[in-house]
Amino acid sequence: MPEAPSGVARRRFLGGALGAAGALAAGGAGFGVAKAVGTDDPAPAPGRVAFYGPHQAGIATPAQDRLAFAAFDVTSSSADDLQRLLGTWAAAAAQMTKGAPIGSVETAPDVPPIDTGEALGLPPAKLTITVGFGPSLFDARFGLARKRPVALEPIPALPGDTLDPNRSDGDLCVQACADDPQVAFHAIRNFARLARGTAVLRWSQLGFGRTSSTSTSQETPRNLMGFKDGTNNIKAEDTAELADHVWVGAETDQGWMRGGSYLVARRIRMLIESWDTDNLADQEQVFGRFKNSGAPLTGKHEFDEVDLKAVKGTEPVIPIDAHVRLASPKTNDGLRILRRGYSYTDGIDADTGLLDAGLFFIAFQKDPRTQFVPLQRKLGSHDRLNEYIRHTGSGLFAVPPGLRGPGDWWGKALFA
Amino acid sequence: MTIRATSALPTARPTALAGLGLLAALGLTACSSSAGDDGPKAGGDAGRGPSAERRVANVEITAAKGCVPDKATFTAGGITFKIKNKDATAVSEVELLSGARIVGEKENLPPGFTGEFAVTVPAGKYTLYCPGASTERRPITVTGSAATGSTDVAALLKTATQGYGEYVETQVASLLTAGQRLATALRGQDLAAAQQAYVDARPFYEKIEPVAESFVVGQDSIDADLDAREGDVPAAKWRGFHRIEKALFQKKSLTGLAIYGDQLVNDVKRLQKLTAGLAFQPTELANGAQELLDEVAASKITGEEERYSRIDMLDIDDNVEGADQAFAQLQPALQKIDPALTKTIADRFGALDRVIDEYRTTSNPSGFKLYGELTAADKRKVAAAVKAVQEPLSKVASKVANA
Repeated sequence: MPEAPSGVARRRFLGGALGAAGALAAGGAGFGVAKAVGTDDPAPAPGRVAFYGPHQAGIATPAQDRLAFAAFDVTSSSADDLQRLLGTWAAAAAQMTKGAPIGSVETAPDVPPIDTGEALGLPPAKLTITVGFGPSLFDARFGLARKRPVALEPIPALPGDTLDPNRSDGDLCVQACADDPQVAFHAIRNFARLARGTAVLRWSQLGFGRTSSTSTSQETPRNLMGFKDGTNNIKAEDTAELADHVWVGAETDQGWMRGGSYLVARRIRMLIESWDTDNLADQEQVFGRFKNSGAPLTGKHEFDEVDLKAVKGTEPVIPIDAHVRLASPKTNDGLRILRRGYSYTDGIDADTGLLDAGLFFIAFQKDPRTQFVPLQRKLGSHDRLNEYIRHTGSGLFAVPPGLRGPGDWWGKALFA
Repeated sequence: MTIRATSALPTARPTALAGLGLLAALGLTACSSSAGDDGPKAGGDAGRGPSAERRVANVEITAAKGCVPDKATFTAGGITFKIKNKDATAVSEVELLSGARIVGEKENLPPGFTGEFAVTVPAGKYTLYCPGASTERRPITVTGSAATGSTDVAALLKTATQGYGEYVETQVASLLTAGQRLATALRGQDLAAAQQAYVDARPFYEKIEPVAESFVVGQDSIDADLDAREGDVPAAKWRGFHRIEKALFQKKSLTGLAIYGDQLVNDVKRLQKLTAGLAFQPTELANGAQELLDEVAASKITGEEERYSRIDMLDIDDNVEGADQAFAQLQPALQKIDPALTKTIADRFGALDRVIDEYRTTSNPSGFKLYGELTAADKRKVAAAVKAVQEPLSKVASKVANA
């Protein structure tokens, strides 16, 4: 669970002013925060997040309360089928993010309704639908081998991995986030239905509570260990940080990825029964933060600077293997990622009777080879938290830029 | 109708699907103007009117105006509708209606994609229908008289229902023969022969299961008498295939089974009486096919059906074959109504057959791997192939109902 940045208090203070200036500057370059474009999508009403824009929503837009995530495998070997599916998904996503059904629920008595109907009458609930492409999509099947970005290198085996192949990888991913779980699930369910004959669900994950804040307007939530983890996350207002660390820019070898990002998903099971018996002092040493306030062990308030040099006697105040130290940009050459994870539970482990619960970690970044992978290699080897967590699933996906408007679809440029 | 030999290892399913399979996927590029141009290709002669003249309507779908054809009046005969969805995210299909009847249609048309369909129509008033559009209906007028030659869809549907009726009768007759062999074996001493007789009889029931299931009169159900699993009915009333299966494959004993064999033969005779000369509706064929695939998805792939013999894959093959046969009967008519849908279903039945074929083996009496030999990945693969047929198949009933 990499922790994001520091340099913190300053950024937070200046966030508003910098953000506004940055957005103006970036607007010209086409890398501003997603804004509505297209004829049928004026400035979104409250409860609506614009679907069309330079970047896909669901990355730098404020993290919603709930997650439904799914990975698909494409079963058809026709590139036309694949594009038609992505086009159909794009239209359905435009509808659902408006709070509208994907099609009629009352067509004729003798045909199944087009929309499954469970979200009828519910508000859009800030639904965002974010789609990505796994490395396996770029094999020989669709003629895309030469379009694979070098940054989409499959994540190598990392220290401490206990990955289940049935909870890992996939040709396509769909991240649906909303403030209403039924709205988020409705999106995944209808996508799966629209995919029949072309793609099948490979795995899916529900998240019941956000563990990150991606806007300065949001409180930092707590993870299932009861800690605020991700205080120093990149925020939507940090336009320059987003350009530096999250959005793919001119450096990419694949033009179709400009304005996109790379999504890393890790299903991190927490051994919470063990954690719950650990004493408070040790828990705080593990994270390097105070449990109640969320302040670093060197400070008093949540957003106080993490002082990695502070010592008490001969020992560092923040232990050398504390999570906050190992994940800090200061110990990682300024490396940052945008975290957007959710707490999950999948009932109990049938073998042990222990709760199967933890963090469904999601991070966005410019290049996982230089961001997530080295960070996790370090955390997986040294993090004191490892005693209480297991990485049980993993996925890497290239998230293309946002859609321009109706008639555009994910990866349209990829197939051109 | 081809009927499979009872115990011999079945070969590929020889239905009307074979020919269509050859027309499979052409790898079109969706960005070009030819994207989605699969309707007429798959449709063969549908819509290519006898006259050399080709009338074309260009239809643009927009969020603002809905479906707009550039031409709304035609003379009778072949008309091609070329459709482009510009930006209407709520619309994904276009139909041509005569009253409530679908004359032709094109699906899978999200914004950014094009497609077309062709029809051959006599004079009359028609409606271009785009469900979900801001203006859903546009009138199309056809005048004059067609040069004729179009085959009547109603006649084709009638042939379909008669053909299916004959198929059902043939299966029930074979079920009776196989049931009598089973009853004979149950009176003997040879357990292996009795197990084989059980395996041989099952397919004929599984192919027409929805027909048998339709006969429920009060407390009396043919399906329960023949096919109830343990616990479905009070223990004292439990008889039929699975009562026999449990004794043969779990207890491995023939003791006391003679009476169940005789009851089974009697129950099949009841079924034969009920199904003799039965008239089916086209929608019943479509729904029956769907029910057979539901059977596969709901209880066969989960291993709930053949708990003791573990020949679930054989049941799956026969459920699919029964569905496939019902669809094949409808195919000539459906080809006229919606060639693209027909091709999709035929292709996917073909793909499903190929998946099932992977589990054939000569080392088991059923001709298939036993349920316990299937991995979770195997089961998911079969289930996904079944779902791929179910989704388009669910649209067939409405098409043949209105035809």
